[in-house]
Amino acid sequence: MKVAKIVNIRNKVYWGLGLVLFIISPLIFAQSIELSGGNTVGYWLFVDSLKEHIEDKLKLSFTYNNITLRGLFFFWQPSLPNQKRLQYIDYNIEYANEPINIIYGTYYTTFGRGLVLNQFLDEDFKTDNSIYGAKATFKMFNNELSALFGKPRNIFFEENAYKIKNDTTDQIRGINLETKLPLPDIIGLNIGGRYVRYNRRTDFNARAFTELFGGNIEFTFGAYQGYFEYARHLGCRPGVGGRLTGTGLLFSSNLTFSGLGLAFQIMSYDTIGFGGLGYRYNEPPTPIKSGISVNRGMNEFGFGTSINYSATDFLNFEGNYNSLKTHAKTEGILEQIFKAKLNAVENLEITGLIERTVKDKIELPVLKKTEMKPSVEATYNFEEFFLDGSYEHNFISADTSKYYEHAFSVSIGKSELFQFTLRYERRNRIPNWLTSKLGTEKSWPMAELSLDITNKHNLRVRVGGEKGGLVCSGGVCRFEEPFKGVKLVLTSIF
Amino acid sequence: MKKTIITFFILIMLITLLFADEKIITLKDAPSFTLYDVSGKVVILDSLIKKGPVIMSFWALWCKMCIKELDALKPYYAEIESLGVTFLAISQDKAKSKDEVKSFSAGHKWQYQIVLDPENKLRKSYNVQVMPTLFIINQDKKIVFTHQGYKPGDEKKIVQKIHELTKKCEGCKDCEHKK
Repeated sequence: MKVAKIVNIRNKVYWGLGLVLFIISPLIFAQSIELSGGNTVGYWLFVDSLKEHIEDKLKLSFTYNNITLRGLFFFWQPSLPNQKRLQYIDYNIEYANEPINIIYGTYYTTFGRGLVLNQFLDEDFKTDNSIYGAKATFKMFNNELSALFGKPRNIFFEENAYKIKNDTTDQIRGINLETKLPLPDIIGLNIGGRYVRYNRRTDFNARAFTELFGGNIEFTFGAYQGYFEYARHLGCRPGVGGRLTGTGLLFSSNLTFSGLGLAFQIMSYDTIGFGGLGYRYNEPPTPIKSGISVNRGMNEFGFGTSINYSATDFLNFEGNYNSLKTHAKTEGILEQIFKAKLNAVENLEITGLIERTVKDKIELPVLKKTEMKPSVEATYNFEEFFLDGSYEHNFISADTSKYYEHAFSVSIGKSELFQFTLRYERRNRIPNWLTSKLGTEKSWPMAELSLDITNKHNLRVRVGGEKGGLVCSGGVCRFEEPFKGVKLVLTSIF
Repeated sequence: MKKTIITFFILIMLITLLFADEKIITLKDAPSFTLYDVSGKVVILDSLIKKGPVIMSFWALWCKMCIKELDALKPYYAEIESLGVTFLAISQDKAKSKDEVKSFSAGHKWQYQIVLDPENKLRKSYNVQVMPTLFIINQDKKIVFTHQGYKPGDEKKIVQKIHELTKKCEGCKDCEHKK
């Protein structure tokens, strides 16, 4: 409650400051200031309840010589009585003049590949893990040194609502050094080291803080590139006290030639994932392409392989075999993907895809869920307009129950003007014991129009139903609620 | 409260429509940047601009339409390069996907310079709202063309725009790549 009040007062101050800055800046620096920005405005209407959401994200940048002031104005107004309105202003001011870069305000950063610190923004997945504070980076020769401090904030969209998962007085302080050794072009060797200290409001005392530290080595030899990172977690057990330690190991590599790319990664995480209920300050990589993780950096072992091969200019194959499990193999996910894309005839593109996933205790109450999804898509460009058609069939086995879902869609469009899509999705039956999870709806017809008003404005209107389901990105997942109604999104860039 | 929100909503729409008209606001300077490509080479916009115009296409592994756009522009790469234009494909994938980005682009026979933007700094600098978004920057470092999204056939319009831009440079003394 207290936190919400503080946020409210802070927001009012920021709104006022932002507005004053917005009005006076162009007047003062009209000749030399650069103004740019973007805006995304969305409107959702839920047909069943006639409730609505309005959402707007306006970004503005003012650049004057080496200084950039950025502001983000966000508001989300739901009409559902059990949901709280969310509005905030984020800003940062950045001084960038090589070799120095200093940023103050809200920013995002990742050390290494995210084993010790990973505060990131994923606008497409609607997850916002920011830091409010300062970061300074100094580059000299082939060395890059960064030091930062700040307070984390995690905003996440789930159950059709934006939720602040974490907005506390926790403090993050960190340092990261990366260096590239001067070697001939064919060989490359990069070394990195990092240390991050987390002081939390919930720590027993000031000395009961958490440390995450580690290092990495990256080597290149001709077409081969390898990366190894080690991270260590030293902290206290939440609530009960006592030492809590953990280790994270990641090895990732690739071998590439023209027309052929191979990638392999293997990872083992002890209790390296650090954060609270539903959020993390670090987000170690998951090998799963659909973004699912088992415990987000806690008790996980996995590997991923991918191959991408273009036999000719008109035929491309892609294969993936990825697995992530707990060390005792009691929970986990296996993912197998095969994709082929053919452009044998001019203006015609055909894509075939087979995806198989096996989830053990990932989508509870289902203990074991197996999905086998073949799909095909064809696009033909008639120059004046184009046609696209696709069909997918998903054979699902959830414990002892078997059912399937299938969808087809047809699109017609004209380049740089519009695309109109009709999609029909259907589930053949719903096992009784799964109605609480899947609902009772069995079909989802939908129509969508994407209109390019100008090259800088796009309007999307979607009318109909969406099935929802588990959606993941970078190890973070949410169960998207089914939707029936109208969605309007206008995106602009200026 | 609702009235305030709706007023604000309409105001924002008007502001964005007003600012998007290039006749009303002058062309913007493209923000400078220094990033690394998948091979670890430094990519500096200010250096590339000296050689000729630059195309920047923002893409990601999860973005189906971005991949379609880059695949569709692939046959035109030699033509674009012969006009003295540098084509950068700016990956918005996180640092953890670096190996997959490299393997994917090699497997697709993309000849574009694949630039990594793991913290999405460039996406923020250029205010990219949707993926894919493509920019053409001329030698005066001005953003002369912006294209949001991809629909089959857009690639031809983009190539046409590049030709228009480089043609304009024929009579221009400052365009080094045309001399």
